[in-house]
Amino acid sequence: MRNQNEGKKEDPVLTKERFDFQQLLQTPQVKLAVAGQSVPRTDALLKVSGKLLYGADYGQEGFLHGKILRSPYPHAWIRSIRTEKAKSLPGVAAVLTAKDVPGRNGFGAIIPDQPVICGDKVRFVGDAVALVAAETERIAHEALKLIEVEYESLPAVLDPREALREDAPKIHEKGNLLSYNKLRKGDLTTGWAEADVIIERTYQVPFLEHAYIEPDVTMAVPQADGTMLVEGPMQAPFTTRRNLAAVLGMPINRVRVRQVPMGGGFGGKEDSPIDIGCRAAVLARHTGRPVRLALEREEITIQTCKRHPMIMTIKVGARKDGTLTALAGTIYDEQGAYASLGPVIPPAGGSHIHSMIMMPGPYEIPHVSVDAYLCYTNHPYGGAMRGFGAPQVHIAHEQIMDELALELGMDPLDIRRKNAFKLGSATATGQILDQSVGLRETLEACAGEFDWERRSRKTGYIDPEKTKRRGVGVGMGWYRTSIGTAGDGCGANVYVHEDGSVLLFTGITEMGQGSYTVLPQICAEELGICLDQVRLVQPDTQMVPESGPTVGSRSTTLMGNAIIQAARQVKESVLEAASEMLLVPVGRLDAREGRIHDRENPERTLLFREAAARAMSRGKRLIGQGWWTPPPATLDPETGQGNPYFVYTYSTHMAEVVVDVETGEVEVTGYVAAFDVGKAINPQSVEGQIEGGVAMGLGYALMEEVVLKNGVPQNLSLQNYLIPTILDVPRIKSIILEMPNVYGPYGAKGIGEMPNIPATPAILNAIANACGGRVRSLPADPEKVFWAIREAGGPPR
Amino acid sequence: MSTLDLTFQLNGQAVRLQLSPDTLLVDLLRDVLGLKGTKIGCREGECGACSVLLDGQPVNSCILPALKVQGRSVMTIEGLARPDGSLDPIQQCFIEAGAVQCGFCTPGMILNAKALLDGNPKPGEEEIRKALSGVLCRCTGYQKIIQAVQTAAGTRE
Repeated sequence: MRNQNEGKKEDPVLTKERFDFQQLLQTPQVKLAVAGQSVPRTDALLKVSGKLLYGADYGQEGFLHGKILRSPYPHAWIRSIRTEKAKSLPGVAAVLTAKDVPGRNGFGAIIPDQPVICGDKVRFVGDAVALVAAETERIAHEALKLIEVEYESLPAVLDPREALREDAPKIHEKGNLLSYNKLRKGDLTTGWAEADVIIERTYQVPFLEHAYIEPDVTMAVPQADGTMLVEGPMQAPFTTRRNLAAVLGMPINRVRVRQVPMGGGFGGKEDSPIDIGCRAAVLARHTGRPVRLALEREEITIQTCKRHPMIMTIKVGARKDGTLTALAGTIYDEQGAYASLGPVIPPAGGSHIHSMIMMPGPYEIPHVSVDAYLCYTNHPYGGAMRGFGAPQVHIAHEQIMDELALELGMDPLDIRRKNAFKLGSATATGQILDQSVGLRETLEACAGEFDWERRSRKTGYIDPEKTKRRGVGVGMGWYRTSIGTAGDGCGANVYVHEDGSVLLFTGITEMGQGSYTVLPQICAEELGICLDQVRLVQPDTQMVPESGPTVGSRSTTLMGNAIIQAARQVKESVLEAASEMLLVPVGRLDAREGRIHDRENPERTLLFREAAARAMSRGKRLIGQGWWTPPPATLDPETGQGNPYFVYTYSTHMAEVVVDVETGEVEVTGYVAAFDVGKAINPQSVEGQIEGGVAMGLGYALMEEVVLKNGVPQNLSLQNYLIPTILDVPRIKSIILEMPNVYGPYGAKGIGEMPNIPATPAILNAIANACGGRVRSLPADPEKVFWAIREAGGPPR
Repeated sequence: MSTLDLTFQLNGQAVRLQLSPDTLLVDLLRDVLGLKGTKIGCREGECGACSVLLDGQPVNSCILPALKVQGRSVMTIEGLARPDGSLDPIQQCFIEAGAVQCGFCTPGMILNAKALLDGNPKPGEEEIRKALSGVLCRCTGYQKIIQAVQTAAGTRE
């Protein structure tokens, strides 16, 4: 009699019990056939041939073109609006105002506080006052000009600290403080008393633009059966669908959202598709015709979400030997006009609370206090941008660590060695890091490759005229894998067919990071087949299970685990069939690269597809379904204590810069970055994320800023919102380390966001090292570096 | 607005049509001729996603009036593959080097690389950087793009 349990091992990946890390290290790793390999991207061929169709490439026959009339004022009452002239322009199909929204006149990724069409007031210059649908874009543009709106301008709130004043104009009914959150650990008074040195600094960072090269576009197509289809590039199909349903006044199951290939997202396409999707859908519903709504580059800057600006004050105390004793932080987190992804989703979701949690940095500090204020202003709103609140606070803690090191006369690496997390450390939220903590290893690996010892001694002028000075800097960081909400989870379906081909259904989207390659790799590895046997179905909410958004560096890990679960269900059936065919117990069978064989007698073998065909003919289940949720997030709302995110990726970056002390220009001349990623499912793609992320961090340090004047963005295009070109980014050496994550597929953790985080402070620290000038308000453009040098008493001799 | 005649070579084939003088080359290629491989990122000649080769040299088709290609030869990404359908070595190298992430800048990058290698078969790294400086990429950090071009040129260390 066959033992039912043969071949089924309790797998620590899929349980939430605490696992002995040392035991994991001793377990021999099975040699992976597909996962862990640098296979080429599955969609690269279509992309290099120009054959892949993005949203703007879809046919426009029969589509109306949608356009949005936006407010010219950052804060104003709408006194009247007249649309007759616009409506009577030939070729105009609809001109809609607030009363024309069929369902809820509000959308938002967390709180639906942003009007689809503003009725009574406008809160930033990107607010929509009317929507137009016309036969051509040109006519739509003309129609916008014919809409007559009377505004009564209101005083605008343009600074988060101003927003909190008693007498500040109220942007929303409930007031300007969207969220106040605090973290309390230990006792600050004790901490200060134990310190030999205490310093306090304030750092400020501006609005940033994602600047994905593919502009936003959406298509809303009313279906004959009364349902609505919305398709376009997007990171969060399910969040988009939920909002559409409410705005249209329809049940969720009558709204279908389909993601099309995306030319970059970086967090921006998490909520911009909700914005234009809802507006296109309202136009489509009203006219009964398909509507295409595309944003021009300038409209993206005016209207869509940004990275939150912050004013961060940080005070640290340390002993003479560099041991940190206390840290106090205050964050003024500028939310802008609408809530987007800022507010708290209990217990630890939303960007604001994430910033609070990350503010103390990856260091052991016994006494910590953080006060974080999330404030509405009449500015563009903050959403998700690669790092979700972590980049900003890293700029604060990594710079103050260097400033502290300078006070103490210590090497910046040594002060980090004194305090950096290791296995068993407690974080500022009291979380014990009991597995997969490679922070120190990344520091040493990076220092070795960068040759920190030698290079840090070569600070100084590189030219006889003494105009250019070289310096080096370090930045350390950590970043979660998951979003810290109670509802974080991922579903995957795997269908095996009788010819051995497989359909993989997930709701995770591809924006260039490589999910469409990595997720099939995991599926193929688990099933024991070749990568080209797996076809991933593009996310369509009607076909794929709820998966959450493609954000938070969660996809490889959470969806990978769900895929493994689903694949194992199906594999059971296939192995049972193979067992019957080979007359070998299931427990002795191995599946690998499309074949199944008897481990003890490898000549006894058959093809995966033969076993699949047999399984189907026997009525065995060939549909696998996975649902994976992380260990539950916890965070006390009063103290900020708990385990908000179940695992972290760690990294250390080192940069060499040359500063022209006469002009303030900075050139990054060398760069090394080391990461603990748990397990690299596709090492080449991990490198790709590292290199792209570092470039983005470089942009934040040196050149990026949405300039606002009286609430109006000034630099709307890529001509004056500068992002790094190929001339700005040096060679980057990546080091991938693997401290396996017991809750990750083959040990993996996330990588998407980590690389752009420590890059910025590493470069800022290098600038300070090179020229003595410390830029505390970004970007460190030539003018700011020039004045920082002067403030420091002129260039070093 | 009345229309004018335009005759030019497109991906090795003669094309003749009528268009209004305010037609931009990128819109002619995408909307009239159905060649969607050329992308639009900014419509102001800044991002390079709309790059095509005009008589072998890269131009930003989003700011070029279509009539400017009168009697000249244009190559888009669709024209790069060989007659038998196989990929140009630059395309193959982009795939293998991992130089393709979201892919939106990829056609522009590849065409700029082709123009470089046609004129300078063994460029140094600085020459590659300079030649590609007209195309913005937000995903890759440019590393693997440079490596792909070096491999195609046979100069990769």
